[in-house]
Amino acid sequence: MTPVSTSLAVILTFAVLAAIAAILLRDVLNAIIAFAAFSFGIAVAWILLAAPDVALTEAAVGAGITTVLFLVTIAKTVRPGGERLFERIAWRSVAIVAVLVGALLTTIRSLPAVGSSEAPVATSRITEYYLQNAYPETGVENVVTAVLAAYRGFDTLGEATVVIAAGLAVLLVLRQEAYV
Amino acid sequence: MSQSDPNRTYVESTIIMTTVRVVVPFVFTFGVFVMFHGAESAGGGFQGGVIVASAVLLLAFAFGIEPTRAWLEGPLAQLAIASGGGTFALIGLGALLSGGAFLEYPAYGFGTDGVKYGIELVELGIGAVVSGVLVSLFFSLSQGDFQSVGNGGGNGSNNGNGDGDAAGGERA
Repeated sequence: MTPVSTSLAVILTFAVLAAIAAILLRDVLNAIIAFAAFSFGIAVAWILLAAPDVALTEAAVGAGITTVLFLVTIAKTVRPGGERLFERIAWRSVAIVAVLVGALLTTIRSLPAVGSSEAPVATSRITEYYLQNAYPETGVENVVTAVLAAYRGFDTLGEATVVIAAGLAVLLVLRQEAYV
Repeated sequence: MSQSDPNRTYVESTIIMTTVRVVVPFVFTFGVFVMFHGAESAGGGFQGGVIVASAVLLLAFAFGIEPTRAWLEGPLAQLAIASGGGTFALIGLGALLSGGAFLEYPAYGFGTDGVKYGIELVELGIGAVVSGVLVSLFFSLSQGDFQSVGNGGGNGSNNGNGDGDAAGGERA
């Protein structure tokens, strides 16, 4: 195994354990902390996979802001009583999840290896076009930004509109709540 | 178990206040840098906007949520949301007016420089939208519980325990 795939295996194990902890922990505060740890692990995994743009988003949104918003929200809830640390496991749900995960795992065999030069994304003509023309056409060195803001600018405008619309809707609902 | 002390969620700490006072300008600058510098390195409007919003959240944790809300009083966040979205749409429409397609930056006639600065303006707009939405979400979510206790009557206010722990998490 290469050093990168070893560290990737370590960090993904950490992320999966943190995710399981987030599900099983009974106290919501503990679950939120475990969830933040999960997001942090995924962010590091993105860095190892050479996707710093996604890593930055995952770290800032997943591990940062979401955790704070969760904390502010659970301050309004009641803590479960009792001394138990973990949630009781609902075996029927576990069975359903296991079937679903098993079905998804069957697709893994047909995925290209990490970093493979034969992967469709590496051999695609669109990828080649972006890599060759993004800088001469836009003067932007980060191809991800060139695609997001120039080639797919209309999609990004849609994304920004979704953020505005969702934000306004949630804010209106919350404000309504405050005046009840 | 359930003390209804209005100030229970905020404990003034010199250490945190001093740290935040030192750190916040750097966090804010880094956020704006990530917004602007998305063209040359990792980042962009979405990430930078979140980092700028987290600078405001740091201030809220150090100096209290209510004082920070009062300090940011007024339609500042709403203005950021509206102007950010407006900037993005206007840049698109401007290209349309200059004879190109919607969001076709070269239509402005500044060559690749025009494309680059157009992209950077768009990123700034996105950053304003994201930070505005996140800051107002945070203040709206923390409203009610942190300013007046027991809004919904006596039986709903049995949350002293959870709150104490949440505040503990913030303090740590």
